[in-house]
Amino acid sequence: MDNLGFLFAANVVVWGGIIYYVYTIQRRNRALEKDLGLLKETLNKEG
Amino acid sequence: MNFDAMKKNQGESNLLIWSTAVAFFAAMVAIFIYVPTEQTEGVVQRVMYFHVPSAWLSFFAFFVVFICSILFLWKKEREWDIYAHASAEIGVIFCSLVLVTGPLWARPIWGAWWVWDARLTSTLILWIIYTVYLMLRTQSDAGSMRARYAAVLGIVGFLNIPFIHFSVLWWRTFHPQPKVITNEGIGKGMDPTMLATLGVSLCAFTLLYFLLMGVRVRQEKLKDEVDQLTREKHYSV
Amino acid sequence: MNLFLSQVAAIAWKDFVTELKSRELFGAMFIFALLVILIFIFSINLSVVKASEVGPGILWAAFLFSGTLGLNRSFMLEQENGCLMGLMLAPADRTVIYFGKLISNFIFLSIMELFILPLFMIFFNIDILEHLLPLLFVIFLGTLGFCALGTLLSSLASNLKYREIMLPVLLYPLLVPIVIAVVRMTGQALNGTPLSGMMNWIGLTVSFDIIYIGVSIMTIDHILEE
Repeated sequence: MDNLGFLFAANVVVWGGIIYYVYTIQRRNRALEKDLGLLKETLNKEG
Repeated sequence: MNFDAMKKNQGESNLLIWSTAVAFFAAMVAIFIYVPTEQTEGVVQRVMYFHVPSAWLSFFAFFVVFICSILFLWKKEREWDIYAHASAEIGVIFCSLVLVTGPLWARPIWGAWWVWDARLTSTLILWIIYTVYLMLRTQSDAGSMRARYAAVLGIVGFLNIPFIHFSVLWWRTFHPQPKVITNEGIGKGMDPTMLATLGVSLCAFTLLYFLLMGVRVRQEKLKDEVDQLTREKHYSV
Repeated sequence: MNLFLSQVAAIAWKDFVTELKSRELFGAMFIFALLVILIFIFSINLSVVKASEVGPGILWAAFLFSGTLGLNRSFMLEQENGCLMGLMLAPADRTVIYFGKLISNFIFLSIMELFILPLFMIFFNIDILEHLLPLLFVIFLGTLGFCALGTLLSSLASNLKYREIMLPVLLYPLLVPIVIAVVRMTGQALNGTPLSGMMNWIGLTVSFDIIYIGVSIMTIDHILEE
C-alpha cells in the first residue's frame, strides 16, 4: 500500500485549497468591514 | 438591510454552516472508515470521493454562471451579476482541485501524471475559459459594462461545453467508462457502500457550494455598499 | 430585408476601401502566416514525421494566428478614431455592424488563406489539387466559425484595458472544438476521405457556426451599448 502518500497528498490539496479560499474571503471581508466603519464614521462627522 | 432581516439571514447561514460541517464529518467517516478499500486500485481509489464531487460542483457552478448571465442580460439587475461572479470563482477553485487531485490519482494507477484523455482535456479547457472569465472581470471597471461583457462570456463559454465534449471525445479517450450512471441504470457499476459514500460526499460538497456562495454574495454586496459610501464621500467634500 | 443587406454591405465595403487605401493589414497577415509555418517547419524534422500528418495542424495554426491580427484590428481601428460611435449612431441595427464586420473579416481571411495554400503545397510537398473541393469546403466552415466567434469577442475586447492581449486569451480556449474538428477534417480531406466519411465533424462544425452566429445576434446589442 505505497499509494498512501498519493491519497494523503490529494487530501492535503483539497483541504488546503478550501481552507485557503475561505481564508482569503475572510481577509477581504475584514478589510471591507474596516473600510465601511471608517467611511461611516467620517460621513457621520461631516453630516 | 434592517436588523431583523440580518438576524434571520444569520440564522439561516448558521443552519447551513452546521449542516455542511455535519455532512463533511459524515463524508470523512464514510471515506476513511466505512467504505472498503477497492481491490485493484488500492487505497488511492479513495481520492475519487473528493475528485468526483469537486468535478460535479465545478460543473454545477459553471451552469449557475450560465443561468445567471442570461438572467442578467434579460433583467439587467446587479443581483444576477453578483451571483454569476461568485459562482464562477467557486467553480474555478473546485475545477483547480479536480485538476490537481486527478493527476495524484492517475499517477499510481495509469503510471502517468497526465494523459491527453477526453475528460482531462475538456476539464482543462473549461478551467482556462472560466479563469479568463475572472480575468475579464478585472479588466474593466465595476459597472454595467463589466457585467454585460462578463455575462456574454458566461453564455458563450457554457454553450461551448457540448462542442468541447464531443470534439475531444472523438479526438481520443481512455478515461474509465462512467461507473455511476451507466446504460443499465444508475449505480449498477459500483458497490453499494461505495455509492453511498460517494452520495454523502456529493451532498457535503453541494452544501459547501451554497455556503460559499452565500458568503461571497454577501461580501460582494458589502463591497457595493462601501463603494457607494466612498462615492458619496467624494461628492460631499 | 433589402435595407438590412445594403447596410451590411456598406459596412463591409467601407472596410475594403480602407484596406485598399492603406494596405496595412493584408500584407502583415500574409507574412505573419508565412512566418508561423516557417517556425513550425524549423521545429519539426520533416524527414522523420509525415508531412500529411503534421501539415494540417501547422496550416491551421498559421490561419488562426494571422486571423487574430485581422480580428484585433477590425474593431480597434474603429475605436481609435471614435468611428465606432459613428457606426452606432447610424440609423441601423447593431446586428448590421456585426454582420458587416463578420463579412469583412471572413473575406480578408479567406483571401489570405488562398494565398497561403499554394505555399503550403510547395513547402510540405502535399498535392492539394487532387482533393481541392472538399478541402475548400472544410476551410470555408472553419473560417466561418472562427470569424463568427472572433468578431463577437473582438467587439468585446476592444473596450478592455489590455485589448491586444485579451482577444487571443478569450478566443483560443473557445475555439478548441472547432480547431480540433477542422484539423482532423483537413487531414482526412488531404488523405482522400470523401466528405461523407467525416459527417460527425462536419455536423459539429456546422452547428458551431450556426449557434455562435445566433448567440452573437442575440448578445451584440449588449456589447455595443454605451
